[in-house]
Amino acid sequence: MLPGRGPSGVVMFRRPGLVRRATPYAAIAAVLAIALATGASSLVVFPLFAIVVLSVALFDDRPQLFAVGAASALAILVISVAQLGPTSNLATAVFEVTVLGVVGASVQEVVRHAREAEGSAEKKVGELESIDHRLRLTLEAATIGLGVAMADGRWVEVNQRLAAMLGRSREDVMQAGLLDVMADTDRGIVGDALGKLARREIVRWESEVEQSARDGRRIPVALALAAISDSGSSEPLILVQEADISARKRLDAMRDTVVAVRQVIVTANSWDQAAPALLASLCTHLDWDAAQYWTVEGDRHALKLRSSWHTEASNVDGLDDPARNLSIEAGGGLVGRVWQSGVAAAMDDLAANDFEQASAERRAGLRAAVAFPVVSAGATIGLVELLARGVKHTENDLLSMLSTTGVEIGQFIQRAETEQALRRSEADHRAIYEHSPIGIARVTSEGELLEGNRALLHMLEHDLDAMRSQAWPDLLRAYDQAAGRARLAPLLAGITDQRSVQVRAATGGGRWLWLQLTATSIPDATGRPEHVLVMVEDVTTVRETQDRLAEALDSQRSANATLEKLDRTKTEFLSIVSHEFRTALTGIQGFSELIRDGGLEADEVRAYGGYIFNDADRVNRLIGDMLDLDRMESGRMSIRVTDVDINEVMSDVMTRAGSSSAVVVEFKADLDPRLPIVAGDRDRLVQVLSNLVNNAVKYSPDGGTVTLSTRAEGAFALMSVTDTGLGIPPDEIGHVFERFRRVRSGAAQSIPGTGLGLTIVKQIVEMHGGKIWVESAVGHGSAFHFTIPLAKEHATPLQRRHA
Amino acid sequence: MVLVADDNEVAQRLCRRVLEKAGYSVLIASDGLQAVDLALAQNPNVILMDVAMPGMDGLEAMRRIKAERPEMRIVIASAHSMASDRERFLAAGADDVLSKPFRLGDLIDVVQKLTAKPSA
Repeated sequence: MLPGRGPSGVVMFRRPGLVRRATPYAAIAAVLAIALATGASSLVVFPLFAIVVLSVALFDDRPQLFAVGAASALAILVISVAQLGPTSNLATAVFEVTVLGVVGASVQEVVRHAREAEGSAEKKVGELESIDHRLRLTLEAATIGLGVAMADGRWVEVNQRLAAMLGRSREDVMQAGLLDVMADTDRGIVGDALGKLARREIVRWESEVEQSARDGRRIPVALALAAISDSGSSEPLILVQEADISARKRLDAMRDTVVAVRQVIVTANSWDQAAPALLASLCTHLDWDAAQYWTVEGDRHALKLRSSWHTEASNVDGLDDPARNLSIEAGGGLVGRVWQSGVAAAMDDLAANDFEQASAERRAGLRAAVAFPVVSAGATIGLVELLARGVKHTENDLLSMLSTTGVEIGQFIQRAETEQALRRSEADHRAIYEHSPIGIARVTSEGELLEGNRALLHMLEHDLDAMRSQAWPDLLRAYDQAAGRARLAPLLAGITDQRSVQVRAATGGGRWLWLQLTATSIPDATGRPEHVLVMVEDVTTVRETQDRLAEALDSQRSANATLEKLDRTKTEFLSIVSHEFRTALTGIQGFSELIRDGGLEADEVRAYGGYIFNDADRVNRLIGDMLDLDRMESGRMSIRVTDVDINEVMSDVMTRAGSSSAVVVEFKADLDPRLPIVAGDRDRLVQVLSNLVNNAVKYSPDGGTVTLSTRAEGAFALMSVTDTGLGIPPDEIGHVFERFRRVRSGAAQSIPGTGLGLTIVKQIVEMHGGKIWVESAVGHGSAFHFTIPLAKEHATPLQRRHA
Repeated sequence: MVLVADDNEVAQRLCRRVLEKAGYSVLIASDGLQAVDLALAQNPNVILMDVAMPGMDGLEAMRRIKAERPEMRIVIASAHSMASDRERFLAAGADDVLSKPFRLGDLIDVVQKLTAKPSA
């Protein structure tokens, strides 16, 4: 029944107190009544009163005691008075009351003390119990494993936490003892520590150790042992504190792994170099026994084992079996699955899985595995598999850390490959640069020579210092000048695009070379020219050959032009010649036909015979002239140079011309008597003069004067044939020495001639090394002048002919 | 009437002798210009025209005459007797071409042929 239910409840609580309080009075009243009834003396009933008072006194209720005592005393007095005994009875009664009072008070005091002592003892026990309770609560509530152990490691107490940490029940732990839950490797040091604590050599010991859980996992804990001081006992109790630091340990391990992986990556040059160290790092820091690296083969159809590592202690020879160098198909085994999915995955216990691929690992005694992809540029290029002999629970954070590592490794591989390619490319370029037969100069954007290869220095016969200080600036200037001529920008002006110029440059040895300079600017990251590469080629031979070729080509071209012209001239010539011949033959053929057909008068026959003769003669002369000219022009005619007295030749020709009866002109001679002997072919000179004189006569149909003159003109003799005839029109005077260019205008048209005479004359004069020219005015006549060199030994005007 | 235009005296004499003997009256011109003048003035039935003449050549003279008198018969008689020349002269408007040197019979034939047609 619960209290406070109603007014009746209150009454029920008070009833015992009322009874307790009323009972002594009832007893006293009863004793009094009995005593009065029986008349027993107060001495007889005194013990009864004493019992009542003592009973009340035991209850430690002082007012009640006093009231009961007073009531008892009153009752004793009433009895004494009622019995009307002697005064001694009254005195006895007073004595009895006094004794009763003293005894009652004493007993009450004793009871009170006893009561007080009992109360404080009870309080003490209560306090102790609550402390103990709180302590237990604290113990259980602690986030760390706590326990109290004996110095030999036997548990006195452990909290639930500690038991949970070890994956055991509290009873299990209590039975096992501290040392039994330690990992084999750490049992020794913990035992030592307990010993030292027991001997009070130390009071506290801390370390990070490993304990083995019920399932065999090793659990890293921060273990603190402290001696609980207990002066009474010879061996102290040990307070054991354990904190599960596996999370921290794992984080530490992962952090260490990341650091180690980076360290390997940073120091390695190539993946092949880095792989074993990296696999070792992963194993060591993450506590795995073996690791393997698989690469995705080029055709992307299979994985191949490229690298593997295992702890020395691990007997994983089966993994290194060459037979395992078989490739793995996508999806096959853990590695194959990870490759296919591209996501890191773990297998805590291979034995629990039924993958064919696991057989080798199982044979090698490996039970747990984790694999993660090595990713480069979004593609899985390889896989790393970590293996352990024991069962291992792989947390998700490890998987994500490994995934990140896979990406880092992928980046490293890519970087390493790029670097290697760069190094190779750099080496190639260096080799090209060093061994190139072409000179290569690297120049700053200011034009300063940074370096020049061997070929350049060899070509220019300078060492690098001389090259840098003198030859290079010269070359640069030459480049800019040549570029300027070619309307190109100077070498250092902005980006150049493989422009070439050729410059002339002197070598250190004093040779002159033609150099072809080709500049290419190498831009920096911002696109501005960082430096300029200048290729220097010795094109001297090429250039000279080119020049010679150009020369040859030129002469070839002009020869071709001459040939073409010659060809044209020849055709033209043939046409003219055939025309001349046919014209002449027209008369010959026509008149001979007339004569042949007969029926002619005798004088007709004679006249026609004359025409025929003249034309035949003309044809003959034509042929003669043509042959002469041909011989001269083809160089087959040579002149036989002898000493010739040109005055004598002049006189001779003049005499012969004048002898012709048809001639109506007057001849005049104006010969320089001091004219030295000339060097010439007399017959040819006669031919020249005859021709000129005949022309002069022919073109003076109305008579006139033909003057022949000679005089010395330096090292030459100057001869002139001047007439007062028809003259040459200005538009024809320039052509008179050309073949078949006869003046046929006006009165000159009927003057016969082959049209080759002056051409022959000019040839002969020029063969002698002289010149011929003409002055003329229509209606006033013409003057032909020509020079012939004087004979050397007679080249002084004072020397007379026939001297 | 036949006009003989030729700068060569021998040719002139030959043609005159042959044609007069054949019964034609003959006019002589010594160059192109003269030929044009005589042709337009005298209206010959046939012109025997040399090509290479001083001053105006025979082709130019023929062009001028044909421009005035398209019906006038002109025979080009030239010592230019390469294969292409004949075509050249016909293309220039000649009624016939006579190569020098010629057979006297050919001369008479060509003149007769040309004089017969228009007068007939």
